[in-house]
Amino acid sequence: MMGEEKFYQEYEIFSKRTPSSAFQHQFSLLAPNEDMAFIMAQENFMRREPVADIWIVNRKHIKKMNDEEKMTLNRLENKDYRTTKGYGYLKKKWRQYEQEMLDEKEILSWGGVRK
Amino acid sequence: MTNAESAMSQEYKDALESLLFQLADDDFMYAYRGSEWLGLAPHIEADIAFSSISQDTMGHAAMYYQLLEDLGAGKADHLAHFRPSEDRKNSILLERVNGEGYYMETPHYDWAYAVVRSVFYTYAKKVKLDSLRESAYLPLADVALKVRMELYYHKMHWDIWFKQLLNSTDVAKKKMNDAIQLVLADFGDVFSFGSHKQAIEKNGLIASEEELKDKWSKLIAPLFQSVQMTTPIIPEPSDKNGRNGKHTSDLEKGLATLSEVNKVDSAAVW
Amino acid sequence: MTYMSVETEEAKLDKFMERIESGDKIEADDWMPDEYRMTLIKLISMHGMSEIMGALPEKEWVPRAPSLYRKLGIMAKVQDEMGHGQLLLRVTEDLLIPYNKNRGDLMQDLFTGDLKFHNVFHMETKTWADAGIIGWLVDGAAIITQTDMLKASYGPYSRALQRICAEEVFHAQHGESIILALAEGTENQKAMVQEALNRWWEPLLMFFGPASKETTGSSKQDLTIKYKIRTKTNEEFRQIFFDKYIPRILSLGLTIPDPTLHYDKESNMWSYQQPDWNEFKKIIKNQGPRSEARLNLRRHSYEYNSWVRDALSATIS
Repeated sequence: MMGEEKFYQEYEIFSKRTPSSAFQHQFSLLAPNEDMAFIMAQENFMRREPVADIWIVNRKHIKKMNDEEKMTLNRLENKDYRTTKGYGYLKKKWRQYEQEMLDEKEILSWGGVRK
Repeated sequence: MTNAESAMSQEYKDALESLLFQLADDDFMYAYRGSEWLGLAPHIEADIAFSSISQDTMGHAAMYYQLLEDLGAGKADHLAHFRPSEDRKNSILLERVNGEGYYMETPHYDWAYAVVRSVFYTYAKKVKLDSLRESAYLPLADVALKVRMELYYHKMHWDIWFKQLLNSTDVAKKKMNDAIQLVLADFGDVFSFGSHKQAIEKNGLIASEEELKDKWSKLIAPLFQSVQMTTPIIPEPSDKNGRNGKHTSDLEKGLATLSEVNKVDSAAVW
Repeated sequence: MTYMSVETEEAKLDKFMERIESGDKIEADDWMPDEYRMTLIKLISMHGMSEIMGALPEKEWVPRAPSLYRKLGIMAKVQDEMGHGQLLLRVTEDLLIPYNKNRGDLMQDLFTGDLKFHNVFHMETKTWADAGIIGWLVDGAAIITQTDMLKASYGPYSRALQRICAEEVFHAQHGESIILALAEGTENQKAMVQEALNRWWEPLLMFFGPASKETTGSSKQDLTIKYKIRTKTNEEFRQIFFDKYIPRILSLGLTIPDPTLHYDKESNMWSYQQPDWNEFKKIIKNQGPRSEARLNLRRHSYEYNSWVRDALSATIS
């Protein structure tokens, strides 16, 4: 089994279904190098679904979080000021001026055709 | 009988059928030899990728057999399974076993041979498909366009295997060079159209043998350059020209396996 | 020194069990008790190798499949088995990192007999109908055990199973299609299915394992249930298999080779003739009818082309 340690490098495979969708993690495979990982990726994990693009990442290039680092992800739920939740009272206010509130649904609809 | 069919001269029809059998039988045998590898490749991930290529290729064979069925040559399944070896038109390169030994026991399958045969054949197939897009027989041109779509992956896949193995250890280089010699020895009939050469070429079904050979050499030259090797010269067909139904005993044995189950009762539905 | 590292083993274990109880998923890099890791390695490596070895009996029928469509279908199916092996071995390999073991070691464990594979893949396949029975009933049995673990506490295993089970639906239908064609075919074909069913009935019962460890001296079902890797016992799986498949088998006019088989209304259980569990023990010790031949094929093909792995280890970039 000489050298097989190196043959078994781990690659993480990402792909997207359509040109406009975001990349999604699929699974990992073992390959001796990037090119080999590349020619095996689609047939190993996406034999039946449409694929628009593939990314291959050697796992050693991924910075992962350890348990201690994961503790940095916790936070208090006192941050209404960052979200629309903290500004809910505006609805009532605008009513006083006989105006509709510009909520998320309304604002995100502006990208369409002008009505 | 369709209009297209009734308008064909006998010579044209014979030439067309001969060419279609060559294309179908090549892919069928290549896919069969590939399918024998299933589960036995040197790496699991590689096994899975290889199997997709075998499946694609058997799908291509099925499309060509269907064209023959449409021409009234017989049912596609029958054409694939029950024509005797003397009626088979595949190149002898594609009937060759993967290595010594029966696939049910402990066969000595040679990965270098699989890679080299695949590279040589895939390039030949590509050159033919490029030409077939302009075939005078439109149903064939349509099929060629579809088949060609799946060939990008096959070519890239085998290119990488070919380059990497020839750029690695001495053992691998030796095995790859031995495999190149083996494949070359059988490569003579790949671009032969056999006894129908004139009619096939004259009727514009596909480019001439000479033109295809020339295109193949040009197409594969960069690959050989990338591994510091000279592009091999395509030999003349040996006296075993598969296009004329001349075959090795490997084909006979293969056909017996391929039809073993159906043969039990070929009138039954399976 | 961090907060995490001063935590006692006991506290870690409590927290771990709490996570499992609350339905949290454990990931490869998370702390886990050795017993959990070992249980997973044993279960998933055996599952993975069973897929890799399970490709071989069906592979025997790939070139012989009776039509172009059947050839394509069974090729795709065997490819999937290799694919399932790939997914499961990857999950195992990540669990083996602390032990410094890789896929090469797993292959060696298979060859030495330390790593077992499912009893059904030690059996002969005599006719095309065996390929059908494997797809229909062996995959059917596997679906029952695998779907139970879709929510397994170990995240990577659960995700691999999501992929696997999606493909198993195709496998089951591929098997049904072969069997239905034969069952509706000539007398000869019907006889082929019946004979294949006779051959596979006992192995199918064995597939779920003994009802309790008293039968064969060992069973890992208790640990897998404790750690919420699976929820049902071997016997519960077997009974579900009976529920789902006995009516279908009988509807095709086939006879189940067990004259004692009947549904017991009092206990809501199928009563059946126990398979020979001593035979089962022999089979999983690689003493089944095709154990040696298949292991030999696997070992030979792995070693015969080992030069490829050596060669590409040299290309590392």
